[in-house]
Amino acid sequence: MLQVKAGNIDTMGLLFERYNRPLLGFLFHMTNQREASEDMVQTVFYRMLKYRHTFTGDGEFKSWMYHLARNVLVDHSKQNKRSAHNYDLADVADKVGGGPAADESMQKEQELDMLHRAMAKLSSEHREVLVLSRFQELKYEEIARVLNTTEGAIKVRVHRAMNELKKIYLTIENGKTAYKL
Amino acid sequence: MEKLPINCEQINNQLTDWLSNQLPDAERVSLEAHLAQCPTCQAEADSTRQLWQLMGNLPTPEPSPMARVRFQAMLDTYKDTVSENQESIFDNLVAKLRQLWVPQNALRLAYSLVLLSAGLAGGYWLNHANSPTVAYKQQIDTLSTQVQEMRQMMMLSLLENPSASERLRAVSYTQEISQVDEKVVEALLTTLNNDDNVNVRLVTLEALAKLADNAKVREGLVQSIARQDSPMVQSALADVMVKLQEKRSIKPLRQLLHDDNLNHLVKGKIEQSIRDLS
Repeated sequence: MLQVKAGNIDTMGLLFERYNRPLLGFLFHMTNQREASEDMVQTVFYRMLKYRHTFTGDGEFKSWMYHLARNVLVDHSKQNKRSAHNYDLADVADKVGGGPAADESMQKEQELDMLHRAMAKLSSEHREVLVLSRFQELKYEEIARVLNTTEGAIKVRVHRAMNELKKIYLTIENGKTAYKL
Repeated sequence: MEKLPINCEQINNQLTDWLSNQLPDAERVSLEAHLAQCPTCQAEADSTRQLWQLMGNLPTPEPSPMARVRFQAMLDTYKDTVSENQESIFDNLVAKLRQLWVPQNALRLAYSLVLLSAGLAGGYWLNHANSPTVAYKQQIDTLSTQVQEMRQMMMLSLLENPSASERLRAVSYTQEISQVDEKVVEALLTTLNNDDNVNVRLVTLEALAKLADNAKVREGLVQSIARQDSPMVQSALADVMVKLQEKRSIKPLRQLLHDDNLNHLVKGKIEQSIRDLS
């Protein structure tokens, strides 16, 4: 990224190759909107170019990237307040479905579906740290840098988020079982 | 649900750290040791781990093939705009420099060029005013010759005018005629000898005196002495003869002295003139 900042804009292509996939994952898990996430990936990379002078070189490029991505998310949710947390079932079915209707895969599918819903019900603050921690596999320290806070605060937040998720998940699971019965 | 001992709550808090492999080795060992002997914590850990693993199985969409194309297009466009910006910045700079410097300089330059060429033209004109080009000179010569001819004609015709003042004017024209030909001299001598008006004759004498370089004029003047009867013209003629130092005039002047009608003032004047001439 320092090379990009120095004017070697073509190196941006390397960064795209390396980070466009995890970036899409982050944005998708945050919004559950496939198309919008793809668009936002482009926006994030555009902003990297535009604001490349703000990259100081201190700390990881990843932190800076997620920092930009969060800003893009904020803009996105402002623009799409109504649909911001809509559950995009079609996208999930697209990715998960297609397998043989074996019991095991059916069950797994259901579990994933429930987890998905549970994630969607989390506050964005909690969902964010979980996504960064679990999906993007960032260390607490790195997340702290993205969110501009301390590692301890992140540790606590991730822990709370995990408990919250578990609670929601169990509620959904119980509700589903009850409904089934 | 029995209340978890302090240790168990701590373990609970560390589960996520443990699952995400962010627990220091020493704490991980003690956590795993605790889990082995605490079924409650073990159950909690299992459910958390299940969920954690399930999260890992959550599908993450693959970037569409279009993503790279879009990115590349965006990058190219951006590069273009950046270079355009740089160019336009450069252009702006040049334009600003032009605005700052060139108009004033151009004005100054234009002004000084105008001054310089005006000076050159003035100098050229002054130097060449007295010697215009051949064609120009020829034109002027032709023109002036034509004017001379016209004046001559006018003079000759005016000399026959019944009005004395018109005849006077005609005589005065001879002063403006640079080259007087025989016709004019003849006409003037005729006027001098025959004109009724004394004034016209006097002016004609004056005009002829200026043309005294011409031999014919001199001869005419000498011959005219005997023909004049006006004391004023006689006296004027005598003066002209003295001025011209015309020796041939002594004889006709002496003859005038024998004329009985001669004015006694003119007589003295002529005697004086003869003395001056001889």
